[in-house]
Amino acid sequence: MANSNLPRRIIKETQRLLSEPAPGISASPSEDNMRYFNVMILGPTQSPYEGGVFKLELFLPEEYPMAAPKVRFLTKIYHPNIDKLGRICLDILKDKWSPALQIRTVLLSIQALLSAPNPDDPLSENIAKHWKTNEAEAVETAKEWTRLYASGA
Amino acid sequence: MDSEDDMHDAKSLEDFYSSDADDYCGSDDLDVGEYEFMEDADNDSDVIAAHRHQKNYTILTELDIQQRQEEDISRVSTVLSIPRDDAVILLRHCNWNINKVHDAWFDGEEVQKIVGLLEGPAVQYPDVRELTCVICFESHPHDKIYSAACGHPFCSTCWAGYISTSINDGPGCLSLRCPAPSCCAAVGQSMIDLLAPADDKKKYFQYLLRSYIEDNRITKWCPAPGCEYAVEFAGGGEGYDVSCLCSFHFCWNCTEEAHRPVDCDTVKKWIIKNSAESENMNWILANSKPCPKCKRPIEKNHGCMHMTCTPPCKFEFCWLCLGAWSDHGARTGGFYACNRYEAAKQDGAYDEAERRREMAKNLLKRYTHYYERWASNQSSRQKALADLQKMQTVHLLKLSYTQCEPESQLKFIIEAWKQIIECRRVLKWTYAYGYYLPDHEHAKKRFFEYVQGEAESGLEKLHQCAEKELHQFLRDDGVAPNCSFNDFRSKLAGLTSVTKNYFDNLVKALENGLSEVDPRGVCSQAESSKDGEDITTRSKTWSGRSNGTAPAGLTSQSDDSSQWSCNLCTFVNASSSSACQVCQTPR
Repeated sequence: MANSNLPRRIIKETQRLLSEPAPGISASPSEDNMRYFNVMILGPTQSPYEGGVFKLELFLPEEYPMAAPKVRFLTKIYHPNIDKLGRICLDILKDKWSPALQIRTVLLSIQALLSAPNPDDPLSENIAKHWKTNEAEAVETAKEWTRLYASGA
Repeated sequence: MDSEDDMHDAKSLEDFYSSDADDYCGSDDLDVGEYEFMEDADNDSDVIAAHRHQKNYTILTELDIQQRQEEDISRVSTVLSIPRDDAVILLRHCNWNINKVHDAWFDGEEVQKIVGLLEGPAVQYPDVRELTCVICFESHPHDKIYSAACGHPFCSTCWAGYISTSINDGPGCLSLRCPAPSCCAAVGQSMIDLLAPADDKKKYFQYLLRSYIEDNRITKWCPAPGCEYAVEFAGGGEGYDVSCLCSFHFCWNCTEEAHRPVDCDTVKKWIIKNSAESENMNWILANSKPCPKCKRPIEKNHGCMHMTCTPPCKFEFCWLCLGAWSDHGARTGGFYACNRYEAAKQDGAYDEAERRREMAKNLLKRYTHYYERWASNQSSRQKALADLQKMQTVHLLKLSYTQCEPESQLKFIIEAWKQIIECRRVLKWTYAYGYYLPDHEHAKKRFFEYVQGEAESGLEKLHQCAEKELHQFLRDDGVAPNCSFNDFRSKLAGLTSVTKNYFDNLVKALENGLSEVDPRGVCSQAESSKDGEDITTRSKTWSGRSNGTAPAGLTSQSDDSSQWSCNLCTFVNASSSSACQVCQTPR
């Protein structure tokens, strides 16, 4: 049922995501719900998440593209803008959403967020504090978590 | 009577009254103290009304608001030679203040950037037959493609969806921008008109209208539920009371219902107090003790001192000493007297907790006293409002028929009811006033209670007259009323006028913080136990009409032997009458 009235835009986006995937990102729709995507993002090089494979889920609500997609990390990650439930603090997922943005742009933004954590606008207070007081140590912890939880095994 | 003190107080009180008396008489040439409001009732109340109704506010209907808004928009649009849409956007940004718009506009181009007014398009349409909308990914012919000033092309369907989503998200839609990421071009009203569904357009228009009222400090909506009028307040004048066309009276400053003579802060405190759980807490504190084991509060409403807490706790303890019941027995003075408690009490161990409980109990009692009276005046007022309604819709017509009087001649009844409603409101708030009157200001407190009591009994008389005595004229059973309708008219009009006067003075005095009361003077008298007499004299001076027992100089009207003023209601009667014309009290 959920797939019967799928807007053309979602079909086109999906086709393009599958045929020309962005580097380091894969997104494929679930078989029984074309609005639900299984996403994998590779940890960007030069970041504490390098070498990690991070699983996310992405859901396109009924109002999409007028409303932003809902995205959440499934893999545990030590990052000041991502909380322990995997929720992401990213402006384009909230008030800065524009219907001219796409799944691809959202996932690229998340990838960029992994390269450039922003402890000044934190979601996880503790991690942000850690980041600001002792960045080297915080980066170590992030690497540790990447090895523990995102090693792709 | 300590004449020195009395004269001093009397003087200040006289000043207070006489200034008011001047107001009351206006500029007419009546001798102060000789006014007989029976004959001049209409005249006088007109003067007062005129005095009162130098309104410092204007009620605006939706039409008025639209007109004003439209005028402002055209003015800005004309002066700056900009499209209407841009004028709206600028006005909204500057809280609908035209001067601010002009200042900002001539200050440089900063403001245009902030609100998203572009100088020219940021992109040009490619010159092809069909364009792809980057929202729906479909191709559309040129005539289905629209864009804001920036030129980013989207199809009409996507525009409609975008605008509609934003409008349904709330008033934020008034500062809508182009959907292209990081494009800040404003989307004005004409785009909405062109592209939004009809329902949403209506909502957008409502938001725009609301913004005109809500985004500045000189206009507010009437807070009455369902009322659609707004009020423009010019400031100045006395007080913040505003009376909306919907007949709701409210305070402009705090938008609570009108609450003279009490100030906004007190009202806020009082409302919080009434709604807060704090009184529950006080009750629990006063009337319960926590179970010594599980700490749940327990109210002991009957039975012996052997308490058993409810499951799952089931702790058995002594109510007096809160010790385990197993420690009790013959050893500790028997089951029904707890020696441990008595001994510890003598040592002072229980004093603190007991005292706290006692205090909380007293505080609660005090609050309840004021609250009950506040609330009962409130409900009495509601009832009076309903009665007035009924009077206007049903009874007046009937009365006009049975008494063969035109309805215009029965206006005094409506006036009386309106006065009752107003007085109930004032009286209600005097209870909040009383609650917050500091306990240590004995003189003020006692004076306040006295005048409040007088006000209450005066109002009761008026209410009784308007309700019960009027009733006889409304009966269908043909029983002749025991006084003529004309007598009733005089009486009710007189009572209305007297009560109005009294309450007007009451409000003024309370708003002045009862500054006429000299705390030292009265305290010394209170100590010398002359207070009863003292207060009576005081209040007579205060109410401004006296029967001759008050100090000379205040009572010029009573010197006139052709009149006497009633002890009870202070009505000035002709000397020929042996009982008060208004309240029937014998002379």
